[in-house]
Amino acid sequence: MKTKDVQDNLITTNTQFFMRNRIVSSFSFLLLLFWVMSAHTQTPTDGLFMEKNEICIAVMGSHDTWDHYWEGRLLRDNQNIGILTRNTLMPMAAYGISSKINLLVGLPYVSTSPSGGQMTGVSGWQDLSIFLKFKPYSYHNDRWTLLSFVTAGFSTPASGYLSDYQPFSLGLGTQEYSLRAIVKTEYLEKYYFRGSAAFLHRTTTEAERDYYYTTKGIYTSTMDVPDATNFELALGLWMFNRAIQLEGAYVSQTSLSGDDIRRQNQAQPTNKMDWTSINGRLRYFTPFFEGFSLMANYGQVLTGRNVGQSTVISGGITYQFPIKK
Amino acid sequence: MKSLYTLSFWLSVAAVLLIFGCSKDYPTGAEFEPYQYSSLDQNAGTWKTVLLQNPEQIVIDAPQDITQASYKSELQALKDAVSKMSAHDRSAINYWTNNPIIRWNEIARELAAKYNLTPAPNPDGTYPAPSAANPGVYPLFPFAHPPYASRAFAYLSVAQFDALVAAWHYKYKFNRPAVFRSDNAVNTFFDPVDLPSYPSDGAVVAAVSRDILSAMFPLEKEYLKEKAEEMKRCLLLSGINVESDLIAGDSLGRGVARVFLARASTDGMGAAQTPRPVSDSLANISEAQFGWRWINMESPRRPVGITPRFGNVKTWAVPDVKAIRPGVPPAIGSAEFNKAADELKQIANNLTKEQRKIANWWSDGLGTYTPPGHWNRFATNSIIQYRYNPVRSARVYAYMNMAIMDAGIACWDVKYYYNYPRPVQAIPGFKTILGTPNFPAYTSGHSSFSSAAANVLSYIFPNERAAFEKYAKEASESRIYGGIHYRFDCEVGLTQGKQVADFVIQKASADGAN
Repeated sequence: MKTKDVQDNLITTNTQFFMRNRIVSSFSFLLLLFWVMSAHTQTPTDGLFMEKNEICIAVMGSHDTWDHYWEGRLLRDNQNIGILTRNTLMPMAAYGISSKINLLVGLPYVSTSPSGGQMTGVSGWQDLSIFLKFKPYSYHNDRWTLLSFVTAGFSTPASGYLSDYQPFSLGLGTQEYSLRAIVKTEYLEKYYFRGSAAFLHRTTTEAERDYYYTTKGIYTSTMDVPDATNFELALGLWMFNRAIQLEGAYVSQTSLSGDDIRRQNQAQPTNKMDWTSINGRLRYFTPFFEGFSLMANYGQVLTGRNVGQSTVISGGITYQFPIKK
Repeated sequence: MKSLYTLSFWLSVAAVLLIFGCSKDYPTGAEFEPYQYSSLDQNAGTWKTVLLQNPEQIVIDAPQDITQASYKSELQALKDAVSKMSAHDRSAINYWTNNPIIRWNEIARELAAKYNLTPAPNPDGTYPAPSAANPGVYPLFPFAHPPYASRAFAYLSVAQFDALVAAWHYKYKFNRPAVFRSDNAVNTFFDPVDLPSYPSDGAVVAAVSRDILSAMFPLEKEYLKEKAEEMKRCLLLSGINVESDLIAGDSLGRGVARVFLARASTDGMGAAQTPRPVSDSLANISEAQFGWRWINMESPRRPVGITPRFGNVKTWAVPDVKAIRPGVPPAIGSAEFNKAADELKQIANNLTKEQRKIANWWSDGLGTYTPPGHWNRFATNSIIQYRYNPVRSARVYAYMNMAIMDAGIACWDVKYYYNYPRPVQAIPGFKTILGTPNFPAYTSGHSSFSSAAANVLSYIFPNERAAFEKYAKEASESRIYGGIHYRFDCEVGLTQGKQVADFVIQKASADGAN
């Protein structure tokens, strides 16, 4: 009996250890939360992957504020906006279709409110995002792991929100097709570096007016939302037997076209929206409830063009479990 | 599994790549084919002009006879130029079409939108003001707000009208045949029109439009000159006019523009944007008389509203705007006021998508061509639909824009006579989906402009009356949905706009064009 108990314990311990590693490796979609940063959709950027038939559900919340924004390249305040707060609550789910394909889905509920002026904030469901994540190549040896991923994403407005109500609008009101390549290398299962590059194609958005001015007058209600590139570099560290993950990242997004907000004018979805930001992230994989993890994130926009100088605090809870043996 | 993986991977890649780069060119103006004029209005030279005392107030020389060598060499120069026409020339001709007055109206709308930006505050919370003396120093001159835009459209359109009536007069006086009649070897780009060619009506329009708009938007002088040159070249290349037609047209256009700019320089617009003590004293008078005063609610507060003395600017058709000044609006806190305020709160709290859309569709706020621009667009659509010739097109724009400007003057007289607070000022905690304009609430400018324009357009295009009236009503109501006007602002504005239109229609019905 004693031997059996020990065996059971061992098995349990092994299982737990195994599970934890898998939990650690499964939150590939958490970086979806970046898209709540400044209403600019993004693709999952992390270098993690779920196994077949695993499912993960999560709720992320974020609190984004700014009191300065870039009008073109001019950093300014605007007392008729005051502090613009953008709160987001995003339910998400991820599923391992196979050991090489993950499916990720998210739908944020956004609410905005300005502290100054007489304009009203708005709230509602923003964009439904669906991503497929592929793992085309990986390499392991005793010390090093090299992983590569490709994500292909699609997002589309989930409610009839008005995109031409910047900067209070829920989002850009456009469909977005994205393609991202990610490379991640990990040393001794402790330190890692990750880099990724993405191309974001946006279709158009419909304004509720059929004339608008960019650098010329345009007689239609359809607005082009600029395509963009996005790059990320991240350095990370695992601690306490991979119970805690610490990461710092630098992100840069650049629109490939678009106009500047004109002096003292309202922003519109046709604007060129560029930004760079730094982000710090902490994740905790609790040993008390198997499959649960908590995460917290802090982000700060450093430079920008036609975007708010956002500070973002966010956090979330995730639960992961296999649905088949 | 492997094949599913490979397939879905490449499908995703292909989808993203395929979609990339499918950007479209959006219209930057009316999209229409050159059309055959519904009539030539041979008698348009007898129509009553608005400012010109008579069609020969601006004198032009009689043309050389077409039998003379000078004319023949001009014809030869025209044919040479046509034979060397480039693809760029062709696209320019297709842009200007055979009714270029439409494009000049669009250019005016474009400039209104470009310059319709309110000054940003200084770091110390004060506001700079545009200066006509230093137009290129921020804030650029002009700030093309609705009163300014209404005036720019009016001067442009009425000057075009008078100039074209004079052109028609001279055309039939001198009777120089159309180019294709003089020489049947000349290829005309458009359907040939049997209109005497001297002076060129196109060149008249180019010159008068260039000069009026250059005065209204002084920083655009070079741009406007290029546009006018391009247009005149198109008149030559499309086989409509020879050089001497163009020169005479340019001279006539310049002369008419001078007459209108002389009026503009003394019409009172220069004093419309008052210094603070003047606008304060207007508000003090209202407050003493009625117990309320309008204040700007922006932060930092703008000390002076838009053009407090626009109500004193010289009208075109209304003899005295004070004579059509409506009665006192409901006292703040009265039952009638509370009813209107409750309606606004009720709408704001339960805004339907349709109401939101109407508010935004008619917003025509900062950075746009303003409500007067919106109505010029409707006028353009009807001009094209009814295939109007240039002089009849000019008449539409002229009477509509006189009505719009006079409605603006009448409305601004009311606004600064009563200095009535906006909803965001009078209703505690009230929030809006549109920015509240920087002038008093009563009466609604959108309603006055729209009602004046709709009634004049309905007079000219009676079959379209239902549509125009619907537009005016919707434009008016849009301000309620946007939370920036009370219903009584809008209803009284519509009534006043109609009163203004009646004066303009009276004038139009006596001009001999019907």
